[in-house]
Amino acid sequence: MSYFWTLLIYGVLVGALYGLVAIAFALIYKVSRVINFAQGEMMMLVAYIAYSIALVTDGNLYIQIATIIAASVVIGAIIERVIVRPMLGRSTFSIVMLTIALAVFVRAFVGLFWDTDSHRYPIAVGGEMVSIFGVTFLVSQLVLLAIFFATCIGLWAFLKYTIAGIAMRATASDPAVTMLMGISVKRLYSIAWVISAVISGMAGVLYANIYHVGPSIGSIGTRAFPAAILGGLDSVLGAGIGGIIIGVVENLAGGYIGSGYKEIAGFVVVLIVLMFRPYGLFGERQIERV
Amino acid sequence: MRTRTFKQTYGELTRLLPYSSSWTWYVALLAALIALPLVGPTYVSTFVLLILSAAVGAIGLNIVTGSAGLISLGHAGFLAIGAYTTAILTTDYGFDLIPTLVIAGLVSAASSLLVGIPSLRLKGLYLAITTLAFSIIVTQLIVEAEWLTGGSIGKAVTRTTVFGYPVRSTISIYYIALGVLVLTIFGALNLLRSRVGRAWMAIRDYDTAARMMGINLVQYKLFAFAVSAFLTGVAGGLSALYVRYINIDGFTLIVSVEAVAMILVGGLGSVRGAILGAIIITILPDVSRWLMNTMFRSVFVLPAANSQEIKGIIYAVMIILFLRYEPDGLAARWAVIKRFWSEWPLGKARG
Repeated sequence: MSYFWTLLIYGVLVGALYGLVAIAFALIYKVSRVINFAQGEMMMLVAYIAYSIALVTDGNLYIQIATIIAASVVIGAIIERVIVRPMLGRSTFSIVMLTIALAVFVRAFVGLFWDTDSHRYPIAVGGEMVSIFGVTFLVSQLVLLAIFFATCIGLWAFLKYTIAGIAMRATASDPAVTMLMGISVKRLYSIAWVISAVISGMAGVLYANIYHVGPSIGSIGTRAFPAAILGGLDSVLGAGIGGIIIGVVENLAGGYIGSGYKEIAGFVVVLIVLMFRPYGLFGERQIERV
Repeated sequence: MRTRTFKQTYGELTRLLPYSSSWTWYVALLAALIALPLVGPTYVSTFVLLILSAAVGAIGLNIVTGSAGLISLGHAGFLAIGAYTTAILTTDYGFDLIPTLVIAGLVSAASSLLVGIPSLRLKGLYLAITTLAFSIIVTQLIVEAEWLTGGSIGKAVTRTTVFGYPVRSTISIYYIALGVLVLTIFGALNLLRSRVGRAWMAIRDYDTAARMMGINLVQYKLFAFAVSAFLTGVAGGLSALYVRYINIDGFTLIVSVEAVAMILVGGLGSVRGAILGAIIITILPDVSRWLMNTMFRSVFVLPAANSQEIKGIIYAVMIILFLRYEPDGLAARWAVIKRFWSEWPLGKARG
């Protein structure tokens, strides 16, 4: 197996994680035109909650899954209802600043309630190695990849076929008209935040399962920005593809140029792509009427 | 009775300060600031020095974000460029301080083209993330360029000379910072009241319309970034001078966030707002430490290791409350209070 292919495949695996987070970004942006800078911190919070529950319940897998979903739903709903909704109608800039403050808050809260060290995730499902075409994977990495594809397909179907999904697309194109059609846009915002919290919560736990539980989970949120931007902020599937691309580019840069450049490769790519396509690769171009 | 709105000539509209009596107050304030290190304790003037250099940076950010409406989350990058340029010039080459600060600003302004050019096509949050990307790239490149910047270890800053006189104490830095801030305020006020400032505001309010009015978007957007980066670079240079040892950890994303918090809390687009915001955000950590020590100690004992987290929580809650309940910033509140008292007893308390 050549060096190149190894880098490429591991890039895809990292990219799947970025992709999940980027999808969570894109969903909120698509519906409400807000970027949630606290996404990484939400991941971290869910991962820590799951970690604590796993310690108590001997790592029962089903309790784990239930905890992750319940915690994410509650966190997403509370943040939307208490923090974001009262700010609706304010400038985007203020709301974004609000989510940044929220990120600082959650980070500090986690540090206070748990600690700032790294821990091994107690259940670590899929710690076994498998070898496919000469590349060795952890089973948990394959689980991550499977969940990534399942999320992409599931969300695509949700947006295309369900009433709520169609209403979301309608809100994305014109919130005022959607409201006039008798759709509760507020409830849609709430749904979007909850779905996005569940996706990022899953991503957080998957990261924790492969690597460790620690404050570094929060920085995955920042690293996933290029993915969301590359795909186009309002394109949910584009964000997933953007994640894969950024993961591969980072890994190749890290492998061929130097490990320090791994950190910034994604940002450089985004800076270049945006010069030519200001709305990302798959984003919708906004036409302004004067 | 004086009113805030009645202007008879164009000259009155574009005056630097609205009333000649204001000059008296500002000169008095300046005199007080000059006298402060001579009469007050050193820690107070060190503290004011922090505020002075933060104010220079905040005015810089407010030009690009508040006046020209181009959101920047990357000002930590410009700050880092200014600080490292200062460190390299003074420590390695023994430059005089004044030219060093000017060069630091110019290098930073030149680097602003990197984000200025994408900003011609990007809007809103896309631009915010691009500037964020810029600052992350800058800090990583500084770590990589070890031969120049000391890499992740950091770099000591020598306080060299001002016009040949050696700089020894923090007090000298204080006076330099005060001078820089006064120049910055005059420069910013002049830019904002003139053709350039009006063009920026037109771009902020509606760029397509501004373009139809004959405003050259390329020129003015790049100029806004360049002026802003220049001031932020100078602020970075000042901070390097009093910190005396710079490290890349001092220029993380949180610094950009603090800068944005300053102008949001103070008030977008106004010089006074930037200064008020710089004061509030700079003293906030110390106020929260004080609150912690006085209020919480009696209720329950907290381990010292957690003070950082509690500071973070108080800081975040303050920003959330400000955004929620004082969205126009302190500058607007200031105007309301001032009008209330100048029209007393006829005015009403809310604007």
